[in-house]
Amino acid sequence: MTHLLDVRDLVVDYVLADRRVRALDGASLTMASGESVALVGESGSGKSTLGSAAGRLLPPSADLRSGDIAVLGESLAGLSNARIRQVRRERLGFVFQDPIGALDPTMRIGRQMRLAQGDRGSIRDQLERVRLNDPERVMRAFPHQLSGGMAQRVGIAMALSARPRLLVADEPTAALDSQVRQDVLDTVFALAAEAGTGILLLTHDLSAVSRRCSRMAVMYGGRVVEDGPTAEVLSSPLHPYTAALARSVPGNTARGERLESIPGRPPVLTSESAGCAFAARCAFAEDRCRNERPVPTRVDGRTVLCHRVAEGVS
Amino acid sequence: MKRLDGIARSGLVFLLALVVLVVVAQVTGLGGDPEKIVGPRLAPPGPEWWLGTDSLGRSTLPRVLQGTGTSLLLSAVAVLATAVVATALGVLAGYQGGALNEIVMRVVDVLYSFPAIILAILVAALVNPGLDAAVASIVLVTIPLMTRVVRAAALTVSHRDYVTSAIISGARLPRVLGRHILPNVAGTVAVQGTYALSIGILVEGGLSFLGLGVQPPQASLGVLISEGTVYLTYAPWLLLGPGVVLVLAILSINVLGDGLRDQLDPRTSRSLT
Repeated sequence: MTHLLDVRDLVVDYVLADRRVRALDGASLTMASGESVALVGESGSGKSTLGSAAGRLLPPSADLRSGDIAVLGESLAGLSNARIRQVRRERLGFVFQDPIGALDPTMRIGRQMRLAQGDRGSIRDQLERVRLNDPERVMRAFPHQLSGGMAQRVGIAMALSARPRLLVADEPTAALDSQVRQDVLDTVFALAAEAGTGILLLTHDLSAVSRRCSRMAVMYGGRVVEDGPTAEVLSSPLHPYTAALARSVPGNTARGERLESIPGRPPVLTSESAGCAFAARCAFAEDRCRNERPVPTRVDGRTVLCHRVAEGVS
Repeated sequence: MKRLDGIARSGLVFLLALVVLVVVAQVTGLGGDPEKIVGPRLAPPGPEWWLGTDSLGRSTLPRVLQGTGTSLLLSAVAVLATAVVATALGVLAGYQGGALNEIVMRVVDVLYSFPAIILAILVAALVNPGLDAAVASIVLVTIPLMTRVVRAAALTVSHRDYVTSAIISGARLPRVLGRHILPNVAGTVAVQGTYALSIGILVEGGLSFLGLGVQPPQASLGVLISEGTVYLTYAPWLLLGPGVVLVLAILSINVLGDGLRDQLDPRTSRSLT
């Protein structure tokens, strides 16, 4: 079966003036068609880099060292400019974190949607599908005249107008207030399900993930450290980092009890990490964890990157 | 949308009034024939010659009006050329980055490293003094200033999500540049254009003052100031007209530029999300 998205051992460095920073250190992720996958992790864990790589949208300062990204079995690395444009247009959609910033401030909504989607379909219908009241008024508005929630709905309508196979949503609700948040996510997921679009949701918000995504992948230090069905990953995490993450969710803790935080800071890698990137903060680390890179291990339908997973330490 | 503030608006009004005055004078012969000898040489201002007469007995008023027109038109033409070239270079360099950016910016840096008047003298030496030398000098002096600022603006804009969004929707390079980058740097171009216009008037003044720009008998602000300095002690009124016009024109262009800049500043003109 061809995967919707197949990221294999991706290594990406950002080359700065005086140093290199490793953003992805051998990340692997696959998605089936129509599947909704949540990619969670702290800032700097490599989520956004992985998301951009899925559209070959990495900035020029990014150096793709090794690995491969394929969309529907087609590797993006060697595509001609004309072909990558076609792949992006027909198969990919992106929703961004800052909804106003994702719209061109110099153009009315109607005009920029027409520009983005060409002659396909009515813009009014597209706006109605994302449950915007008064689409006529929205079409005539400039982006700065819309609220964050409205702008994000427009962004979603634009991203889904071409009925893409894969929608990459990079923290789409982080800039919205909590009441609008659920509503916007519901809209994205409902429309994507209807069109058979797979969603890669990049987020910090574990509670949003647990209700909407069937699978989740946890990133740490530029690698996917645990990947499996959402409910199982959250209820019985196998990787110590996932376990710590699950314990730090406010909803899972009784009122009055302290939330548990993870000691230390996430690593900033400059080259391949020698062992497990989490070893320095892990309560169960042993010598092997610091010196030997863990390899993906299949356990109960999940993929885990941990030397001690068989011992059931977490 | 905020409106221009009072100072900027008075600058705009003064400039428009100046342009209208010059055009009306050109069409109706207001103030008389700039080349006709009307009275004694170096006569002080009087009812027949409001700004006095020059060393040949020509009335100064029509010469100032003609000179203002020449200086403004010359600078405007040059700045238009600069705007086209600098915008094209700046947008391409800012968006594409890489080798193109390096080449454009290093060439611009070399131009920028010359003092304006030295560069202008060099140009005049190469193309012979005259109108075209003045225009070419203004273009060469203002291109580095404008290219750098437009490039910086284009660089910022090209990292915005709406540009990524356009790329995802399958937009080709010309559409990304023309529909998204260009409209978003247009404000910067307008503001830099006003500054370039005032620099242009100054460069023309300097060059013509040195005898390398506009050539007599044609008048320009620089030519008139140059003629006036010779008789500074006997006939100071010769400097008064062109000097005051030069100062006020540049001042009003600059305050207009500041007003435009403030108006286009996203921090003050855009609502919070």
